[in-house]
Amino acid sequence: MSDLTRTQVFDTLRRNALDVVPELDPAAFAAERTLSELGCNSIDRAEIVTLTMEELGIVVPVHEFQQGYDIATLVDVMLKHA
Amino acid sequence: MNGRPPAPAGITGLGIVCSVAQDVDGFAAALAAGASGLRPTGTADGPALTADVDGFSLERALAARRLPAHLLGTAARAAGRSPWPLRAAAAAALEAWEAAGLHEAPADPDRIGLVVAGNNLTEQHTEQQRPRYQRDPAYLPARYALHHQDTDHVGTLSHILGITGEGCTVGGASASGNLGVITGARLVEAGAVDVCLVVGALVELSLLQTRGYLTLGAMAAAGPPGTPPPGAPFDADHRGFSPGQAAAVVVLESAASARTRGRAASAVLRGHGSALDGNQLADPSAAGEARAMRTALRRAGLAAREIGYVNTHGTASPLGDRTELAALRLALGDEAGTPWINSTKAVTGHCLASAGVVEAVATVLQLERGFVHPTPGLRRPIDPGYRFAGTAAEDARPGFALSNGFGFGGFNTSLLLARPDA
Repeated sequence: MSDLTRTQVFDTLRRNALDVVPELDPAAFAAERTLSELGCNSIDRAEIVTLTMEELGIVVPVHEFQQGYDIATLVDVMLKHA
Repeated sequence: MNGRPPAPAGITGLGIVCSVAQDVDGFAAALAAGASGLRPTGTADGPALTADVDGFSLERALAARRLPAHLLGTAARAAGRSPWPLRAAAAAALEAWEAAGLHEAPADPDRIGLVVAGNNLTEQHTEQQRPRYQRDPAYLPARYALHHQDTDHVGTLSHILGITGEGCTVGGASASGNLGVITGARLVEAGAVDVCLVVGALVELSLLQTRGYLTLGAMAAAGPPGTPPPGAPFDADHRGFSPGQAAAVVVLESAASARTRGRAASAVLRGHGSALDGNQLADPSAAGEARAMRTALRRAGLAAREIGYVNTHGTASPLGDRTELAALRLALGDEAGTPWINSTKAVTGHCLASAGVVEAVATVLQLERGFVHPTPGLRRPIDPGYRFAGTAAEDARPGFALSNGFGFGGFNTSLLLARPDA
């Protein structure tokens, strides 16, 4: 178990989302929103999650991701495997 | 052969990103000046020379275009995370699109085709991603499923340009570029599309691909310190090809479509020939090469004496260069010494999959602007019986030109390009 905080995971997700989708509104990146709502297509979403896992050294088994997770749930899933 | 030959396609747009220039006007100037993008690599075990594209930036390329903002925005978004060879192809495609005026005098998107020339384009990308996968498979970039496919070029470029007619990749080793042009021309000639973009894909060789060519002796190796650099194509000191990087695009269009859109073709593809040797090896065949050239002449209804210029395949392979000269003798007979000949690969390096499209662009520019570019570094031609362009560009107004492309595995192709008024 590492000492990763929710804030670290959230911030890393947000930074990668902005890298992958530069036109994304940073202010709209909120815990209760989904990446799709923010304008990320399916490939963008997979890329944002993959980059975040790599950066934080987390491996979430591929079957644990489901469509439609809001950002808070994505953070939870990642923290579970941190 | 019975019946009228199909009406030939014209060329209404060109685009290029290569080692000596990142647009068409710069490329024309580099050809005329006899510039070369080939530089020593400084690695004894590697190729002696490579002609790499330095400092390519999609943002800068987009900023140079006079195209609608929504088109440039789509390009930035769709190609922004693509491997850089595809970003370079997008830049070349947008240059050609603008030159053809497809943004201001549009064609029906369902009647625009897209042929991407080249295969095995992504091995270097795969090689780059492997360490991340080895750290943990979960870290393989999510776009890999798209990016490892050659057809990602077709998807991405059609997305950017809104092309909804026919599209595919076409491969034939180093003849891929010419085969792409021939495939595009057939789509136009058959009436399947009115306009067809043919994109020669930039090849960034993997370490394994590079070593493979070196092992066969096809690519000129650097050798120990003090080893002289390899000679130019057709030079007595030639000892193998030197790789180059380029993305190049030609827009093929039916005469009727160009007329409707109020555009003039800068050249016409009057004929083309393609023939296999029935040979899996890297052995060129003069008979096969000559068949491709003769087919192109026959389709154009031209005699050998009417060819004023030949853009050779000319890779600097000793066997390949000799074989091509013999093929010219077979195809053109007593006229083999009449046309100017040169090798664009001395300028751009051997661009492999895209070579045929690069050389079609070079041929069109020379026909249009009335010159034949020198073959930089060609000092002692292996055979004095041919009219090699000298050390400087020649003022010349050829009306008809052949552009050859051959590939491992017995691919022989030749394009016959003409000035529109010839």
